[in-house]
Amino acid sequence: MSLAIRLQSASSDFQKLQASMAETVDVRQKLEAQLSENELVKKELANVTPENIVYKQIGSVLVKQDLTDAKSTVETRLEFIKSEIKRIEVQLKEIEGKQEKKKQEVS
Amino acid sequence: MSQQPQTISINDLDISQLADIKKQLEEELNHLTSSFAQLKQAQAKFKSCIDNITEVKPQNKDKVILVPLTNSLYVPGKLSDVDNVIVDIGTGYFVKKTRPQAIKYYKGKVDYIKTNLNALEETIGKKRENLNYLVSALQSKLQNQPETTKS
Repeated sequence: MSLAIRLQSASSDFQKLQASMAETVDVRQKLEAQLSENELVKKELANVTPENIVYKQIGSVLVKQDLTDAKSTVETRLEFIKSEIKRIEVQLKEIEGKQEKKKQEVS
Repeated sequence: MSQQPQTISINDLDISQLADIKKQLEEELNHLTSSFAQLKQAQAKFKSCIDNITEVKPQNKDKVILVPLTNSLYVPGKLSDVDNVIVDIGTGYFVKKTRPQAIKYYKGKVDYIKTNLNALEETIGKKRENLNYLVSALQSKLQNQPETTKS
């Protein structure tokens, strides 16, 4: 009887872990997409010549912006996203480890 | 990731395991094909941008156009600057470019997507092959032992 209860709680724990795993994977995917978008912007800004004017969208208005400002903003964004991805990777590993442990518990 | 177990031990797996793998493969395939369609769409969008830029030509200077304010509300306007366009380069940044520059930018985008599309097509082909192989293995299993595996 207690075995059945233990099994039940273990499997529900396992399911929770799976759900949080899927969530983190989702977050990671979004970060990945942001990263590649920012990389593309960075590449494009590198090609900008002085006669091209850079604008930044604020709400629904385009505001003129300094090229160096724009470049440094994108750079900090890239740094931030990269560190976020690292954080998420660690989280994923943790969840994976917990999952593995639960799996053994169940079987 | 999923290739090795399939090719090596496909005949050692029982029917329910094969069915699981089949389901997984089908899901992957669905995901890939929908990505493919999305990429195609994006490519078409960039292509139409190129077409639009070529319409902003000097002959059309000062001609009256309709400027969309919303999807259904337009106001008349005049084309005053036929040399420059403003291009969305992503994450809220826009760059004012000359027409040839903008066309070059969009062409680059289209080509970039094209290489992705080709790579994706190849992956889809491989997955499909895997799936076909798996299905035939599954079917031969089902035919060979219809009695013993009923659960």
